[in-house]
Amino acid sequence: MAGSKQNFDDAATDGGSTRVRTIIVAGQSSQRTRDVLRALSGFQNVVWPTTLESALAQSSAADAACLVIADDLKEEPLDEFLQEARDRHRNLPIFVITDPDDVAEAVSAMRHGATAVIEIPPSYATLCDEVTRATR
Amino acid sequence: MKDSPQTVIVVDDDDAVRNSLRMLLKSAGINAEVSASAQDYLASYDATQGGCLLLDVRMPGMSGLELQQELNMRGATIPVIFITGNGDIPMAVEAMQHGAFDFLQKPFRDQDLLDRVQRALSRDTENRSRLRHTDRIRERLASLSPREREVLNLVTQGKANKMVASDLGVSQRTVEIHRAHVMQKMEASSLAELVRMMMTIAPP
Repeated sequence: MAGSKQNFDDAATDGGSTRVRTIIVAGQSSQRTRDVLRALSGFQNVVWPTTLESALAQSSAADAACLVIADDLKEEPLDEFLQEARDRHRNLPIFVITDPDDVAEAVSAMRHGATAVIEIPPSYATLCDEVTRATR
Repeated sequence: MKDSPQTVIVVDDDDAVRNSLRMLLKSAGINAEVSASAQDYLASYDATQGGCLLLDVRMPGMSGLELQQELNMRGATIPVIFITGNGDIPMAVEAMQHGAFDFLQKPFRDQDLLDRVQRALSRDTENRSRLRHTDRIRERLASLSPREREVLNLVTQGKANKMVASDLGVSQRTVEIHRAHVMQKMEASSLAELVRMMMTIAPP
């Protein structure tokens, strides 16, 4: 699935006008982050902040649809970043990407405020479904 | 709501697991009971019993996840720790999304389990204390007359006595008397405390 190009309907209609909501993918430059970005390439407005502060700032924007934490950011461990993102953005869907079968990390992420945890590979379709729901 | 000692209830269809967990908990000075199935647990379910649940995910008949959902429907607040030998991420995420306190994979260290149980018991104590507090506020609220309730609603919206009197078509003196009764019955020492009480039972 990673690498295949598919267009998703991520534009929300608001009072007759159409607006494209932003999908924020946070993660350092790793293979996993690149795979996630490739999986989401069918969405129109995906941004990729590589620092903690810019990820949190972009999550504050009114048009932010969701935050996808693809990988650790160097400045902060995942749980702390997640907790901070959740504290600042109570209602923002936050999806955390983990390695397959890392149940302990998934449980920890859920306890720290993740909306869902998605293992990649293989759940690219699950990721796209979750992101599509979040943009509506 | 009774204040009996907290009990950890182990729900697992495997005799050996049930017994070893019960012995482990008892060795740490923790009250423990066991159920061999979700149905057995539900048959003796007591919402007033404090403690936590150690729940096997996969059991014949009703699974652990199904039991969790049944308890949620009953409004149960007891913390649930799932234990499984073959869990996966979707299963763990589903359990946590439905409010599980924790999700532990076998094999685990005894101390890891005991630490989680202690945290779950602390959470249960906090939950029950909060529930007792809201129950007390609801009881006081139920003791108000319809008119006192109207006055309470208006003053906690920030309206002055004069405005309340105008809204209700009564004299300001009458509002003052009702307001004094409200403060007394609600056991509130200030308007701020009254507002906090209302927010406790109906958060914005």
